Amino acid sequence: MQKLSLFTKCLIIFVVLWVFLRFFIGGVWSVPLPASVISMYLGLILLAILVHVSVEDDRFREFLRPVKETLADDSRRTRRTVLFVLIPLVMLGFTFSKVSTKADPPAALRTAHPAPPDELTYRDKVIGSTQEVENPFRHLEKDDKEAFKVHVDNGRRVYYQNCFYCHGDDLDGEGHFAHGFNPPPANFQDPGIIPNFQESFFFWRISKGGPGLPPAATPWDSAMPVWEDHLTEEEIWDVILFLSEYTGYRPRTFSEAEH
Amino acid sequence: MKKRFYKNIFLISTPGLILLLAVFPIIVFAQGKQAPAASEAGKALYEDKCAHCHGIEGAGDGSAAENLLPRPRDFTRGLYKIRSTESGQLPTDQDLFDIISNGMPGSSMPAWSKILTEDEHWQLVAHIKTFHDGFEGVSPRLIDVSGKVPYSEESVAKGEEFYTTLGCADCHGVIGRGDGTSAPDLTDEWGFRTWPANLWQPWTFRGGATTEDIFKRFIGGIAGSPMPSFISSFRLGLTDDESARMTELEAKMDDHGLSEAEEEEYAALEEKLFMFEDIMLKVEEGEELAPDEHTKLDTALKPIFEKSWHLANYVKSLGPEEQPQAAVGDKVLRSQYRAGALPGMNDEAWNELQNASYFPLVGQIVIDPRQFNPSIDAVTAKSFYNDNEIAFLFTWDDRTKTLPQADDETGETVEDALAIQFPVKISEGPTDPKPYFIWGGRRPVYLWSWKVAEPSTVTEMNAKGIDKATVQSTQGPIQAEGVYKDGQYQLWVKRSLTTEDRNDVQFTPGVFIPIAFSAWDGANGDVKTKRAVSTWYTFVLDPVPSNKRFVYPPLVALISVGLLFGLRSSVRRRENT
Repeated sequence: MQKLSLFTKCLIIFVVLWVFLRFFIGGVWSVPLPASVISMYLGLILLAILVHVSVEDDRFREFLRPVKETLADDSRRTRRTVLFVLIPLVMLGFTFSKVSTKADPPAALRTAHPAPPDELTYRDKVIGSTQEVENPFRHLEKDDKEAFKVHVDNGRRVYYQNCFYCHGDDLDGEGHFAHGFNPPPANFQDPGIIPNFQESFFFWRISKGGPGLPPAATPWDSAMPVWEDHLTEEEIWDVILFLSEYTGYRPRTFSEAEH
Repeated sequence: MKKRFYKNIFLISTPGLILLLAVFPIIVFAQGKQAPAASEAGKALYEDKCAHCHGIEGAGDGSAAENLLPRPRDFTRGLYKIRSTESGQLPTDQDLFDIISNGMPGSSMPAWSKILTEDEHWQLVAHIKTFHDGFEGVSPRLIDVSGKVPYSEESVAKGEEFYTTLGCADCHGVIGRGDGTSAPDLTDEWGFRTWPANLWQPWTFRGGATTEDIFKRFIGGIAGSPMPSFISSFRLGLTDDESARMTELEAKMDDHGLSEAEEEEYAALEEKLFMFEDIMLKVEEGEELAPDEHTKLDTALKPIFEKSWHLANYVKSLGPEEQPQAAVGDKVLRSQYRAGALPGMNDEAWNELQNASYFPLVGQIVIDPRQFNPSIDAVTAKSFYNDNEIAFLFTWDDRTKTLPQADDETGETVEDALAIQFPVKISEGPTDPKPYFIWGGRRPVYLWSWKVAEPSTVTEMNAKGIDKATVQSTQGPIQAEGVYKDGQYQLWVKRSLTTEDRNDVQFTPGVFIPIAFSAWDGANGDVKTKRAVSTWYTFVLDPVPSNKRFVYPPLVALISVGLLFGLRSSVRRRENT
């Protein structure tokens, strides 16, 4: 077997890496990568290859040799003819598909976890600093188990009278109204939701809903109602206790958040 | 000695074995698996997962029940909608397992198969059975699905005929959209309102949408609901001819009496009928039937079963099993360019557009009064545009046409209506905020408001909040036409692409424009904020394919040919020097 030329080797490396990015990383291993990300990586790879081959004059000449041969050498006539027909045809098809594709609808961007305001409020009443406010009934978990259960049960009632239409019977975001919304309702069974936030964060999101999102969280597509219009302060704290009791996930605490 | 022993065992056990082999498959396959004994674990699981709807005592009165329609099942009465057993009977354990596992499409009962293990399902089945004491020692008759009639045009045609003659249309409507004349007045055993199924939406069939599922509902009925067993529509035990003869004799009897021979004939038919009525009564009471009674009943049921298969095939022919996908991604609404005049409401041209885009609606539960049980599930849309105008054809299913009238409960004037919503200013780029999805807020929306009382008028409005809508002082020339037919509204709207009014939306080809809907079903108590809504979707006036597509690609190809030859000659020149 003939030894592979440097050019062919570089070509193989490039194609293999493209396949790896396009089909392995974005497909087998994870969700498909955006085309812009792939072309960025490929640009870097191309740059690296060019740097590698042009460091030494000899190597660069060796790299260009097959290209020159194909272009000029009489022994490479067949290959040249095929390439001279194929390359323009590919360019033709590529440009045609680019020009005639339909416009894609705008992608729905979404700030999944916006930063809460500094001050936690209920209606117009200031409760305290969002960083520091804790669930006023959380301490009952240790101090008075019976009273704690009353709050959790009340939270359960609140949840199934108000929230489960969207967030689902099993708190998995698959309620019977969920299909009508984009972005989909939050899934509290997702291990990335409850453990990552303080209870005050949940209080803020529940009480102010979609309309209370900060400017950074545009385009404000959340359909979450402003629950402080319908629920009491205690009911909101209770439903937060229920979310964590039912799923078994504990919200972050202030002391954890400090570290 | 040992051999003898085995021989004896063999001799003794053979008849038993044969009997067991004969009975075993019947028990196992007919009944499915059996639930274990009720346990504390089942009770605890029930209280964690089910009680908030079905109630601690199983009476269907959990804290969520009040806002749900259909209501959560009351287990205490032993009335189960979805069964594989004949009319008037309890479900099998497997039936209960399946309902927990699959949920009930079109209701708030989710499918628990993703959440609970198989053992947990069985624990729940066992616990649910404790709410009703009739489960002890009954062996219900299963619906025999072995005589399935394969799907064919012919079978569908027969089914359609039965659909009309049996009076299905009274509730389900002439073509089956659940819009029958008695539809608005139906209640279930508990006195709660119940809507007849829209047969064009099989994805909402509570017990599943396979032909077998539909067939079982015909034979078993839907217990607790007004849906009767199909069997009760026939004179069980009589052939079609005998039944026709009986009707004939009855007419004669009323007119001028029967001759002696005719009276005897009538009495014979009646006796036959009574015999089967007795058998059916036994079945419903859960009494054991004698083997010959089973046989007689099976024979009598056969022709009814066959008719039911035809009817099931007809229902199957009406709609797709899956709910259409929402109008996002590749299903996005694309208004098509059309040179010349745009099609009117009944124009054939609308059929050129294959599938209408589908916009799901849900209850408005943000602002009081709220609608937790919307009856309008979706709006669909098609659209054409030309150089000056755009035309839309919207449709939505509504079981009742409600002209303005006072609501029974609130006394408010309710009526059917639709509002189509656009932002006044179209957002530029994905991070540019849209107005609030229910009639805007700080950012205003532009509305087309249509009401059933004035079907040929669309009113232009602006809104800055759900209760802050105002009619525009100058109404632009918008043409509209709305009709109601067979449980479905169609609304045709035409407007110029651009207007002088700064508070109108301007339609520009190639720009994705947000669109959303609000729909009111007067018969469902919808009024003002109480209604069905959608979130924002987008649509686009698909740009006319540019002629550039015939210019640029060949140009690029030519340039690449030129470049290749240029490269070649430069390489040659250099090598020669």
